[in-house]
Amino acid sequence: MNLELAKTLTYFLTGGFLVFLAITITRDNITNRINRVTGGMLFFAGLGPISAALGTLLDQSTAGGPPISQTSLYHLYLVWELFFPTLLVFSWHFPADRLKTFRSSRAVYLIVLPQVMHLLLMFFFADFNQFVDNLTTSAVQEGFLSIFLKPIAYIFSRLIIILGFARTYEQTIFGAVNLFYAALAVYFLETGKKYLTNPRLLSQTNAALRGTRSGLGLYALSYLAMHVTSHDLTNSLGTLLQLGAVTAGAGFFAYAIIRYQFLDVRLVFRQSLIYTMSSAILVGIYVFLGLRSKELFTPLFGDRAETVSYVFIILILLLFQPISNTVDNVIHSMFMRTRTDYRNIMQRFSRQVISLFDQAKLRQAIEETLKTALLVDRVYFVLYDDSVGEYAILKSDDYPRRKVIDREDLMLRGINLLDTPTNFASLRDYEENSQLANDLHELRVKLVVPLKDSEHLLGFLALTTKAAGYRYSPEDYNLLGVLSNQMVTALTNARLYADSLERARLEEEINMARQIQLDLLPTAPPKLNCTVISAQSTPSRTVGGDFYDFIPITERNRLGIVIADASGKGMPAALLIAQTQAIIRSEVNTGNAMATIMKNMNQQIATATSPEKYVTLFYGELDTQNGMFHYVNAGHNYPILVRAHGEVELLEIGGPIIGAIPGMDYTSTSVQLAPDDLLFLFTDGLSEAMNVEGEEYGEERIRNFVAGVRSKDPETIITEILRDVRRYDPSHPPQDDTTIIAIKMNKQVSANVKEK
Amino acid sequence: MKLSDHEKDGIVVLEPKGKIMGGPDASLLHDKLYEFIGQGKKKVIIDLSKVDWMNSTGLGILISGYTTLRNNEGELKLANVTEKIQSLLTITKLIMVFEAHDSVDAAVKSFK
Repeated sequence: MNLELAKTLTYFLTGGFLVFLAITITRDNITNRINRVTGGMLFFAGLGPISAALGTLLDQSTAGGPPISQTSLYHLYLVWELFFPTLLVFSWHFPADRLKTFRSSRAVYLIVLPQVMHLLLMFFFADFNQFVDNLTTSAVQEGFLSIFLKPIAYIFSRLIIILGFARTYEQTIFGAVNLFYAALAVYFLETGKKYLTNPRLLSQTNAALRGTRSGLGLYALSYLAMHVTSHDLTNSLGTLLQLGAVTAGAGFFAYAIIRYQFLDVRLVFRQSLIYTMSSAILVGIYVFLGLRSKELFTPLFGDRAETVSYVFIILILLLFQPISNTVDNVIHSMFMRTRTDYRNIMQRFSRQVISLFDQAKLRQAIEETLKTALLVDRVYFVLYDDSVGEYAILKSDDYPRRKVIDREDLMLRGINLLDTPTNFASLRDYEENSQLANDLHELRVKLVVPLKDSEHLLGFLALTTKAAGYRYSPEDYNLLGVLSNQMVTALTNARLYADSLERARLEEEINMARQIQLDLLPTAPPKLNCTVISAQSTPSRTVGGDFYDFIPITERNRLGIVIADASGKGMPAALLIAQTQAIIRSEVNTGNAMATIMKNMNQQIATATSPEKYVTLFYGELDTQNGMFHYVNAGHNYPILVRAHGEVELLEIGGPIIGAIPGMDYTSTSVQLAPDDLLFLFTDGLSEAMNVEGEEYGEERIRNFVAGVRSKDPETIITEILRDVRRYDPSHPPQDDTTIIAIKMNKQVSANVKEK
Repeated sequence: MKLSDHEKDGIVVLEPKGKIMGGPDASLLHDKLYEFIGQGKKKVIIDLSKVDWMNSTGLGILISGYTTLRNNEGELKLANVTEKIQSLLTITKLIMVFEAHDSVDAAVKSFK
């Protein structure tokens, strides 16, 4: 008796739950075919257990009367068999809407024919023998019409035989049909799975498949049970297995719906649904215990059972709240704490994007989140590229190439005005002449999610429909809004990171250039008997536009001395300098006259660069045998020659700056150096050093200073004048590149020269 | 640098003011010159009286202007060269290249 009641209660709850789900899903979006199909399927699945429960209850209430299973009304329960055709239709539509041809055809309704026939057969011919008897009697009574009726009666009698056959073996025939339907549904679901890439849809389909398969298995068992075992046993066992099949199958669907947000049943609704169900079950158990407690305790406590049962009821009533909470929590942890929970999506996404600085990986993470969490079918990225200053649809798994968007595109301007995720269809005003609008239409874009920082549109996401044709809910819009803000932050971070990498790379390159430049400068001035030479070059930036060089010309006992200053500063000047240095070295090696060397060099640089790129250059050759100094001054600050007794001469002769205007001519000249004579060469970084009043240090000050320290050695002279200039202009780093060469003739060797 | 211009006896007189340095100054002068070249006005005087400073890049701009005009069969002359710029032109020996006059009138006269 108790077992029967428990069975009834279980049937009733299962059925009720399924019907409840069916109504929920259908109501959620009645315009969507998949919702209607699933709703219908679950509704018929729910009818099975409910009618079984009703049958049991009726059996109990009419105990002693004729068996209810023989009445017509009883057989109405076969309506639940419509579950099979709806399952079949469902398997066509989910997950991919294939078989579109069937969709438009009315013929699809024919698949319910076997089940409807079964129902009608059982309803009208509940007691088949009685029916046949009645029919035969009436036929005999209407004897005189028998001639006309005979052919009809004949056809009728054949029909009755068929019907009778069908009636006798109904379970075998219709059971087989149902089995066939279920197997076909499994097949369709399996093949449909192949089209799926979305992980969440895949889990949903797998759950649905598990349900269908286990239902199919149990149903097959019940089918066998009815035919293998004796008739008495079959009815109860078979029914039990059948109901098990329905419960298991539908249960898995319910699981898929709740666990994986199948059909996007909304979160709040899912919660209320589950809590209602769990509370109902709990209350049911309480009612059962309350009603039966006396009976349960009688064997244990005898006469005192009633008292004990009251105490028991009070006790469990007190415990209701904590128990209910525990059940809620357990259910919550089982069903609600899923990766698809919106709050979880956001938390997971933020954690993920914080650590991603690579834009490509970031895009991948965004795409994955949208596809998994929101079931978006395809995601297209349109982003602004700083380096080229244009918006482009980016290449991705879903889009085969990069496509640049016209800056003036009307649709782009329209999207620029958006602040929140917006339905693409509502942007119709911006479609005129817009290539972007055409592209988005072609890509079947449904939703545009702008990515905007405080002022700029970084780009936008273009989303297609959700997989399996689900629609975007208001919660989705909210979530996309929040996610887009996080994407903006992440994209900005990624850009800043890329910028810093780029800066680091440039810095590295400049450091390498500096190293090359330093390598090009002489490591130390040459050591000669006749002179002491000291040189120093300080770039104002990492690389400079000054250079000096010493070129030994051993076959003529000469030392070439170069000091030069390129126009501009930094990298461009450094490149010009490198070119100049290479040319002068190769020109000197040709053995040409100095004036020719300069003319050639001017020609080469003037034709290779624009006019405003020029070099001021002083080239001299010191004869180490006789102290004769030959030079050409190509527009360079006049080097200073301080004689031993303090007279100052300037080395001016030469020609215009190198590289500005082609076809210039140069003149070289010579000056005899004597012992203790000081030659002081410098670039304008020294003369144009400026004090706070904006006055330059000036050439005259240099002349006077150098004349004053002429008796000191070259290295000291350089150190002291630099110190003096720094005092005058303390700006750091120096405003311009500064290079100095100081050459002093030795007494001893010069004496030899004199003797000659 | 600010750049104003006027014409005197069919000869263009450009009047830069302030410091002639690199950056935007270069394209400013360059664009102006091409504007006049486009109108067939290829005789240009640069009045330097209001230029108080010029660095190496600024000098480059003058050279560039000179070359531009010469390549288009035009001519660039300087007028009112300040002492500072005079010494810069002397050191770089560009005084051999640029024709410099004491006044705009003198420069205009030299074109006839």
